[in-house]
Amino acid sequence: MKIWKIALNTFGGFLRDRLLIVFAVLFACTVLLMMTPLLGAKAIAKAGSASQAEIMVLGMVSAIMFFVSGTGSLLAAWCAASSVAGEMKTGTILAVMARPVKRWEFLLGKYLGVMLLMSIYVIMMFGLSWLLAWIGGEKIHSATWVLLAYPMVRYALYSATAMALVTVLHPVVTMGITMIIAVAALIVAPTGQAITGNVKYLKIPLWVLLPSTSLLSEERFLAITQASLKPISWLEHITTLSYGLDYALVLLLVAMWVFHYQSLTRD
Amino acid sequence: MTTPAIEFKEVTKTYRRRFAGLEVPALTHVSFEVGAGEVCAFLGPNGAGKTTSINILMGFLYADWGQINVLGYEPGDVRAKQKIGFVPENFAFYKHLNAEKLLRFHLALAGGDMGRSIGIIRDLLFKVQLTGYEKLKIGKYSRGMVQRLGIAQALLSDPQLLVLDEPTSGLDPTGRKEVKDLIHAMKNEGKTIFLSSHILSEVEQICDRAIIISKGRLVRTGTLNELLGVGDQVEVLADQLPAEMEPLLAEWGATVERGAHGVRITVAISHKRELVEKLWAASCDVMSLVPVRSSLEDLYMKLIGPPGVPV
Repeated sequence: MKIWKIALNTFGGFLRDRLLIVFAVLFACTVLLMMTPLLGAKAIAKAGSASQAEIMVLGMVSAIMFFVSGTGSLLAAWCAASSVAGEMKTGTILAVMARPVKRWEFLLGKYLGVMLLMSIYVIMMFGLSWLLAWIGGEKIHSATWVLLAYPMVRYALYSATAMALVTVLHPVVTMGITMIIAVAALIVAPTGQAITGNVKYLKIPLWVLLPSTSLLSEERFLAITQASLKPISWLEHITTLSYGLDYALVLLLVAMWVFHYQSLTRD
Repeated sequence: MTTPAIEFKEVTKTYRRRFAGLEVPALTHVSFEVGAGEVCAFLGPNGAGKTTSINILMGFLYADWGQINVLGYEPGDVRAKQKIGFVPENFAFYKHLNAEKLLRFHLALAGGDMGRSIGIIRDLLFKVQLTGYEKLKIGKYSRGMVQRLGIAQALLSDPQLLVLDEPTSGLDPTGRKEVKDLIHAMKNEGKTIFLSSHILSEVEQICDRAIIISKGRLVRTGTLNELLGVGDQVEVLADQLPAEMEPLLAEWGATVERGAHGVRITVAISHKRELVEKLWAASCDVMSLVPVRSSLEDLYMKLIGPPGVPV
């Protein structure tokens, strides 16, 4: 009950956050601008074969969704970091924590508030991917739940990362480190080629240590045509999603542990 | 002996700047007790450690050393927090909420009866004179209204202990009086009130006990009677003073002030009876006789000194 109240209050705060509203408007404009090359690609593809058109349009949809999805990761991290740091900066946390609320309950409430926002984002992102494919005259062949569950787990992971970091760092520093982690995770992700030289001593430990968000990317299922859609077993889905959720849970527990010993005021 | 509502034993807190290598002692071996049902003023200049103590008391900060008990529990314990109402120094609010929604949010966190939330909130808003403003966004409130709303949220769960950090800051004289009346009402209900304030004259009127700290150290603590004394002098107001009595008064070390309403004579309590009898014998009218005790402000100035003067 208390956790849910904090989550709903956090979510309500996001919906009225001026910075987020400006971000949403700018973001919508950028996506609209990006639709121009999609329409161009469609026109060019009409001259070629149907399979070429499918690949081209889905490739374009994938590129737009890569941008939208990546922005979602940043949004998840920023919201998680700012929601906790903002409460401490303004002092609203004091009146809340004077209530019979445990510190972990407060943090979990904030986290769930971020996840509520991100679930809206994921639903909008899903709708956008269908809209883009429809504009391109194509159909997305991936299962709906895949396009909803994978980004949600990835955002859960980014939010937990930011929440763990912001308990000890400034939100801007937190964002910077989260971005570095995201980029580094992409760089060290296996490409199918053998790793040679001393690089492997850096790449392999980093691959193990960093969250493998490329595995959790729904774009794996977006950029491909039905013909090339590789069947993925349920076990593989469950393993991948469990990996992401487990990683997020560990980070959230770390955040709760650190937050328990933190000062709630700016000393 | 009943368990004190608040107990600080040798509490020490130092703020550390990890990277700058700075250490600022905020509290040094501070010990005091506040009994159940007492109204206790927590006094000291800015930077004395009042807010740090309150933050430790509420569980927002951890002390480096010492033992703290609040209503028999450790600070931050949910069981203690269920019985505490807290008004921070500058009550911060969620800009997207109005008073009604904010109070409903806090009532839910306090585990209050949500079925009765409308009635509880309406009564509280009436109590702090915010009726009619419940739907207005808090961002549009004046500072005094925000402060009153802060007091309303502190009273939501019918607390046993009220911790008020500068409750009258930002309030106009009427607002201050309202808060003072509210504190009086709470006191009459038997609640323990721990408040920090700079307005000593007000504090003196409502408090049973005072704790004075400076530079993170306890300077003085006790009941107001213990701190200010019951008075070793009396002030006699008479309509006139015969000239032949003046040498005697000078001998007693009395002070005489002549004013439009009569003569004010301050004399040692041991000469009280003799003075009154002599005045009556000289056909003077004694209009009042009151014991003289120093004010809290006098004591504070004596212990702490005026701003900027090191003691």
